[in-house]
Amino acid sequence: MSSTGLAARYQSRTPASGRPRRRRRRPDLVQRLSSILVVAIVIVQVYPLVWLFLTSVRTEHDFTTGNAFALPSSITFGNYGRAFQVGNLGLNIVNSLIVTMGANILIVLLGMMAAYALQVLGFRLSRVVRGLFLIGIIVPVQIALVPLFIDYSSVNLLDTYPSMIIPLAGFALPMSVYLFSSFFEYIPRETYEAASLDGAGPYRIFGLITLPLSVNTVVTVVLVNSIFIWNDFIFANTFVLSDGLKTIPLGLQNYIGAMGKVDWTATFAAVCVTVTPLLLVFLVLNKAIIYGLESGATKG
Amino acid sequence: MLPNRSRLSVLVFLVPPLLLYGVAVLLPIIQSLVLSFFSWDGISAMQFVGVQNYVHMLTGDSVFWHSFLNALGYLVICLVLQLGGALVVASLLTSFRRGREVVKTLYLLPAVISTVAIAFLFQRIYSIDPVGLINQILAWLGLGGLERPWLSDIHTVLAAVSIPEGWRFTGLYMLIIYAALLAVPQELEEAARLDGASRWRIFTQIRFPYIRPVWTTTTIVAATYSLRGFDIPYLLTNGGPGQSSELLTTYMYKTAFTSTDYGYASTISVFIVVECLVAVGLILLMLRRKADA
Repeated sequence: MSSTGLAARYQSRTPASGRPRRRRRRPDLVQRLSSILVVAIVIVQVYPLVWLFLTSVRTEHDFTTGNAFALPSSITFGNYGRAFQVGNLGLNIVNSLIVTMGANILIVLLGMMAAYALQVLGFRLSRVVRGLFLIGIIVPVQIALVPLFIDYSSVNLLDTYPSMIIPLAGFALPMSVYLFSSFFEYIPRETYEAASLDGAGPYRIFGLITLPLSVNTVVTVVLVNSIFIWNDFIFANTFVLSDGLKTIPLGLQNYIGAMGKVDWTATFAAVCVTVTPLLLVFLVLNKAIIYGLESGATKG
Repeated sequence: MLPNRSRLSVLVFLVPPLLLYGVAVLLPIIQSLVLSFFSWDGISAMQFVGVQNYVHMLTGDSVFWHSFLNALGYLVICLVLQLGGALVVASLLTSFRRGREVVKTLYLLPAVISTVAIAFLFQRIYSIDPVGLINQILAWLGLGGLERPWLSDIHTVLAAVSIPEGWRFTGLYMLIIYAALLAVPQELEEAARLDGASRWRIFTQIRFPYIRPVWTTTTIVAATYSLRGFDIPYLLTNGGPGQSSELLTTYMYKTAFTSTDYGYASTISVFIVVECLVAVGLILLMLRRKADA
């Protein structure tokens, strides 16, 4: 869509009218109203999370008898102690770290390799391969649950780290391939040609040129995927049974139900413990994450 | 293309990713297709039943249709919240001079929280005993008559499980639309403003046509993500009470892992894929046609 075409269309439709006076004041009012609206929406977005943190430092008595949504009357960190006693929080965090790291290594390395083959090396059927990767973006993950469950049980992979890592990496791979290949487009042809003339083969070029240049894209891919993998519930819930392998989302679930009476303040303390690392990473690196999310969705 | 590449080098780079992708994504899709023509509980021998699963699903299973309608309701609520909310905030944000980055970051926060945590949170927000946030606000506003247990009332439960999902990702879509709006040339808008065009007119005739390609992609992403929505309904109500918040995804999950009817579950998951493809097709058709008109 060209901008000149739009402008022409616009001009042909709107008769020129000259009433600049009356409009002077309106933008101010509109501006103010829109600020209020945006602030209100942001409060709706953020308030539940603030409440989460406030509840985690509330005394149990205050939570059950007082107004659970007002500011806490006193602050306690006892909930955090109970949160660690009741569940296996430490173990859950370690498991989540292992799964997130494992999946990210596969996503980055394999995504980069596929993008290199598609974008830099090039081959005849590359369009077909791109099409195959598109399938993984559109198709919902649920389709893989039953077949993977069956396959895993026949090769004894049920209830292992790989049982979570394989589908998490597999379904994230297409987006990683697209992000890397759109980045590789920007590496000038001449760089590769010069390296080729100097006698570098495809492996050396990958290792010495493409890989070092892609650091920023790697960071973006890792950050965006970590959010989704860290929080994955469906694969972990389907393929993991033993307590020793439970990731954070499954560990959190244990706080409810198992004890009959729910210790809400301890549960929310546990939630806060598990949310905080990701939240800190997000707040510190939000520029890179936001960039990744934007480019990821507009490319897909 | 690199001049020095060999066929072998292409394969070296291409085979490992395709292997993982094949095992995790492509093979399961084919297996689901095959399984959908069988009856199998995972223990006894598989039995080929032809299209019987499909016939039963489409003509004899009222729960399936109920879940399908619920999934559509879930989709509509998510789309309105995510795309509508995203468009409104993104448009308003472009006229801000300060604080854009802060708003973007805060708005995106819920996307970082795990669905299990979100389910806990909303369980408390909706509850009536002890009084949750929504019922408390209603009481303050003098609308005490509207207080109810939102998650166990069959009339409100579907909306109640859809809203957290909509809420969670609004910020993500806002970011994308905001980035697109920033790319609209300022001169166009200024020219229109000088000609006395109203804000609404500028929006409908300049901004929106300009971001239409991004809007189309965003709608597709949001729609396919809503159609695969699972975590929050599963965790909040597990489809209940009765079947009033059952989605196709939760129904499929229960059929597979509670009733261990792998064949029929695969039939439902094939349907979910078809549903996603149809949704993508419809969205492309609708938004393309409007662009041509």
